[in-house]
Amino acid sequence: MEKALWYLLTATRGGANRARIIDALSERPMNANELADRLDVGYKTIRHHMEQLEKHDIVESGDEDYAKLYFLTDRFDNYRDTFEEIVEQMDA
Amino acid sequence: MAMGPMITAAAVLAVLNVVLLLPLVGIWVRNYATFRTGLVAGLLAFAVAMLVENAVAVYFFFSMQSFYAGDPHVQQAVLILRSLQFVAIVGLSYTTLR
Repeated sequence: MEKALWYLLTATRGGANRARIIDALSERPMNANELADRLDVGYKTIRHHMEQLEKHDIVESGDEDYAKLYFLTDRFDNYRDTFEEIVEQMDA
Repeated sequence: MAMGPMITAAAVLAVLNVVLLLPLVGIWVRNYATFRTGLVAGLLAFAVAMLVENAVAVYFFFSMQSFYAGDPHVQQAVLILRSLQFVAIVGLSYTTLR
């Protein structure tokens, strides 16, 4: 998980946006639409990022098809320190 | 002297490597500005070194073709090494663009 976080967030093209998604979900669970509005990123881009984050067990989603909410996983919470370390440099 | 087909293929692969490495360097420059982590600095240094290496290789293919022309085994080895590097860079691009 630790290495996946480092690569997924700092080394890839969409990394900065994924870090912002995790940041937003730390406040409260949101659906893809809310995330798109909040971060001013296209809905399809958000869905792609959510797919990647789910695949790496960083987020999980509710069962509904419509407006399903995304949550951070317990497993991610164990690595929150790593996340904080990664985003230390990011402004706001 | 015209370039042999194997050396031509190797030169084309070196050009493709340069074309693939440019966006990777761009992504990692941008990410370094955002995160300032050692991992991104390392990836950036790696990509820049590979970029320079391939650019120099392209130059050599055109300026020293007589050097490569002599021995088909040398040509084959150069082509294999270029191909392996190409495969590696394609893989890296794929994971980075996801």
